[in-house]
Amino acid sequence: MQIRWKPVALVAVLALGLTALMNRKTAAAAPQAAAPAVKTRPSAMTTKDAASAAALSIPDTTLAINSDKPLSERVVHYEIDAKYDAATHIVDATEVLTYHNLTGQALDHFPFHLYQNAFQPKATFVRDSKLMGSRDTGYQKWEDKFYGSEEIKSLEVVGQGDLTSQLQYIAPDDGNKDDKTVVDLRIPMPIAPGAYVRFKIAFQTKFPETQARSGWKRDFVLGGQWFPKVGVWWHGAWNCHQYHNTTEFFADFGVYDVKLTVPQFEVVGASGVMVEEQSNPDNTKTVTYHGDDIHDFAWTASPRYKVRESVYQSQMGPIKLRFLMQPAHWSQAERHEKITRETLDRFEKWYGPYPYKTLTVVDPEPDSAAGGMEYPTFITGDSSWFMPKGLYLLELVVEHEFGHQYWYGMVATNEFEDAWMDEGINSYTEVKVLDSILDKNTSIMNIAGATIGEREEQHSFIRVADRDAMAQKAYEYYNANSYDGITYGKTASVLLTLEGIIGEDTMDKAMHTYFMKYRFTHPTKEDFLKTIEEVSGKNLRWYFDQAVYGTQVMDYEVLDVNSFPVNWYEEKKDKDKKDDEKDDKKGAKDATVYQSYVSLHRKEDFVMPVEVEIKFDNGEKVREHWDGKSRWIRFSYQKKAKVVSAELDPDHSVQIDRNDFNNSFVVEGNPKPTHKLSNYWLFATQWVSQALAWWAV
Amino acid sequence: MVLQNKRYISWFWFLNLTLAGFGTSAFFMRAQAILDHSLLSDRLVHGLDRAVMSNLFARPEFGSMSAMRSSAFFFAFLFLLATALFLPGVFAGYASTYRLPREDFFRACGRNLWRYIRLLIVAGIVMGIATGALFGIHGWLEDKAAESTNELLLPEVRFVGLFVIFLIMTVFRIWFDLAEADVVLSDQRAVRKSIWAGLRHTLRSLVRLLASYVVAAIVAAIILVGGIWAWMRFVSPESVRGAFVISQLTLLLLLIPRFWQRAVAVSYWQQRMMVPAVPVRSLEPHPIEPQPVAVATAPDPMPVVPSTIPNPPPATQES
Repeated sequence: MQIRWKPVALVAVLALGLTALMNRKTAAAAPQAAAPAVKTRPSAMTTKDAASAAALSIPDTTLAINSDKPLSERVVHYEIDAKYDAATHIVDATEVLTYHNLTGQALDHFPFHLYQNAFQPKATFVRDSKLMGSRDTGYQKWEDKFYGSEEIKSLEVVGQGDLTSQLQYIAPDDGNKDDKTVVDLRIPMPIAPGAYVRFKIAFQTKFPETQARSGWKRDFVLGGQWFPKVGVWWHGAWNCHQYHNTTEFFADFGVYDVKLTVPQFEVVGASGVMVEEQSNPDNTKTVTYHGDDIHDFAWTASPRYKVRESVYQSQMGPIKLRFLMQPAHWSQAERHEKITRETLDRFEKWYGPYPYKTLTVVDPEPDSAAGGMEYPTFITGDSSWFMPKGLYLLELVVEHEFGHQYWYGMVATNEFEDAWMDEGINSYTEVKVLDSILDKNTSIMNIAGATIGEREEQHSFIRVADRDAMAQKAYEYYNANSYDGITYGKTASVLLTLEGIIGEDTMDKAMHTYFMKYRFTHPTKEDFLKTIEEVSGKNLRWYFDQAVYGTQVMDYEVLDVNSFPVNWYEEKKDKDKKDDEKDDKKGAKDATVYQSYVSLHRKEDFVMPVEVEIKFDNGEKVREHWDGKSRWIRFSYQKKAKVVSAELDPDHSVQIDRNDFNNSFVVEGNPKPTHKLSNYWLFATQWVSQALAWWAV
Repeated sequence: MVLQNKRYISWFWFLNLTLAGFGTSAFFMRAQAILDHSLLSDRLVHGLDRAVMSNLFARPEFGSMSAMRSSAFFFAFLFLLATALFLPGVFAGYASTYRLPREDFFRACGRNLWRYIRLLIVAGIVMGIATGALFGIHGWLEDKAAESTNELLLPEVRFVGLFVIFLIMTVFRIWFDLAEADVVLSDQRAVRKSIWAGLRHTLRSLVRLLASYVVAAIVAAIILVGGIWAWMRFVSPESVRGAFVISQLTLLLLLIPRFWQRAVAVSYWQQRMMVPAVPVRSLEPHPIEPQPVAVATAPDPMPVVPSTIPNPPPATQES
């Protein structure tokens, strides 16, 4: 025992010393960062190889966060050394991945995502895009520039040797044998619970022209989903889905140390904090980034970025804001910064603190499919040279992508299976934040009387309302339109409607509680729904079953409104009629008692209690409550006044009704809106006629 | 010319309004059924709320917008045909030194109908090929510009390209306007001769004619932009009547520049293209010398030769 103990102790001490040295060097190279707390966790040991295990750990660094201790349960540590060839758009890299087995059981295989293999003609991503439609590339015709690849050249498991030959492509979702976006590695010696394992991988990634917010365009590149990334052990199994055109990502928290070697002239931005920049003799430079408590790493490079930097004082400390702008958009840098600061302010006040030390906002290459993407501490906006004041599209995108720092970045839900929990919840908070900053009805556009509000923009989901449920795997949606409509629009509308049911303050509290409780974890949909029930103290299953798990559609209508005199059957002589008319003119018509009816109808299958407000011509208003369980209901009144109008949901708290026009009925119609719209249409038709005649004859 | 014949502009405006009114009726009726009794539609009165409009267009009972666009385009095409039908009368009116009677206006229209159809077909082919080629080149240039790292190059190329296309197409317009004028004013049955004459004169006086046409087009652009600006600036969102009046006033004024261009064509024709009348020597009356009468019975007296002989009508040319 004594003989064996001495070398083990020696190795352990050496490993501790080396790790501490490495961490100190990293900290010293970051001028803006406070000295990190350099700690190492006591190494777990396998029974097989105690010496090797003692050297393995996940660093406890806090260099990139405003916290003196780690914020997440760190499962992975990626150390990547990559060289980017700007001419061929190829990255050659080595990756050292240290994985901490916190699954509670021995692991004998590890699946890895190879996302860039999605951009191949037979891959599931491309096949689905052709079938279901796509947000950017439609693949009408295959072109070489669409091709992307991610190839593992070699893979070694420390202590188990080179296992490259053990790699096997798998397609857990659709069995597509031509899909190479997931590769599985069986290892001869399982990793014990609590133990660490280290993979040494050499890989090559070829980026396509930008697709799905990754790749190159002209001399710009966005390096997203570019390295082999291990799956997530979740609910007792590996969760490592193929890359589909409607899915995003899912990964474990950890530490990233990434060296990027790029041409000297490139301006680089990336996740985490930059700790070192070094010029190389071959006209390249190597920039080193470090990230703590993040689950992905993305980077960008372009020789033409103009950089704007500032500091935002957050609740946990200073955040370095870095804006990488296109030269033609330099005048919009201030708008980017303003919306970023205002969004940060709202998120910190309403949901919780932003703990990272950096946020990089990238204004990507115009006309690329790189706009509007989120990675930890790194987002891309989307703008163009023409962005007039009053058109808030850039604000919308920056706000949305920043929101993902919370709903994806920190509350790291499974985007493959519960896309609504990141995109949808984020769309909901986007409405709240933009309403607060830019006003409810003008948060997208306010130009010359023409207005667009973000809140009602979400309502566009009604076109696909009955296709798919929110609680559905992202890759099982009917098509891309349905995915977009349900995941973004319906979720936001469902949560806005929920505000009306439990109260806005309670909903705000629930969202804050949810964030604080589940940040740096992988919550499920039930975690979210139960949090709302707990905070509100209400059983909301009737609502969640229909809105979240179901495809029910809501459409309530005011079916008819009718008033007539109670004594209508009494025939009046002409003289009496004339007297009545005179009385009316004198204001004596109140004497007539009217029987009034208001009928409501539930046209679709979503059952929900609703309010209706009935207005009478004497100014009186009556509110009625209907549980909505029957197909229709009729309210009747006997008053000395006729009904003027009836309006369902008078507080406008229901955002999921398919048809808002039939939610009200005014007895005396107002032709103005029709005339106004028709006049626009008439003008357009006449102008087109004249233009046609101008050129043709 | 244009000012002396203002009634033509009023007629064409009325025609334009009437046909567009038919084209808009389906839109009107469907919108009416949804909007008139809904409180939500009130938001359209106080501004242009896109969310409400989107909701409206998304209603299945509203019908598809493409169907309504087709109907509008159909009536726009009818206006084009009506313009082609009545244009000869306008040319005749502009060339006339007096107020052209209505029957002469319509006579000119009827007399030139078939010639105009032929002319329109030729113009359509020529301008269609030119448009296709120009936009093809434009697209190619745009693609090249899109490869540039200078983001502003693309909009610049696009703008300059469209302006060049506008200039070239204006030249084609001048050509066929002169041909149209020639067909009517020369009573030219051989349309091809008018087309060649139009081309010859377009090239001969290109700068002068192009300048006139471009100025008219600029005036049209100013009228359109100014009209829309005034609409937004001075008409409250609630005022439907105000919106109707200013929009129609804009469209009425917008017709003037095009009629101005046609007047330029007529004026040019009168100055440069009109074939001068062949001088006809007037016949001197000869004294009638009495012939010896051979027989006792006197023949019928000879008709008296008029003192002047009227100009022969212009010889029509067969095509």
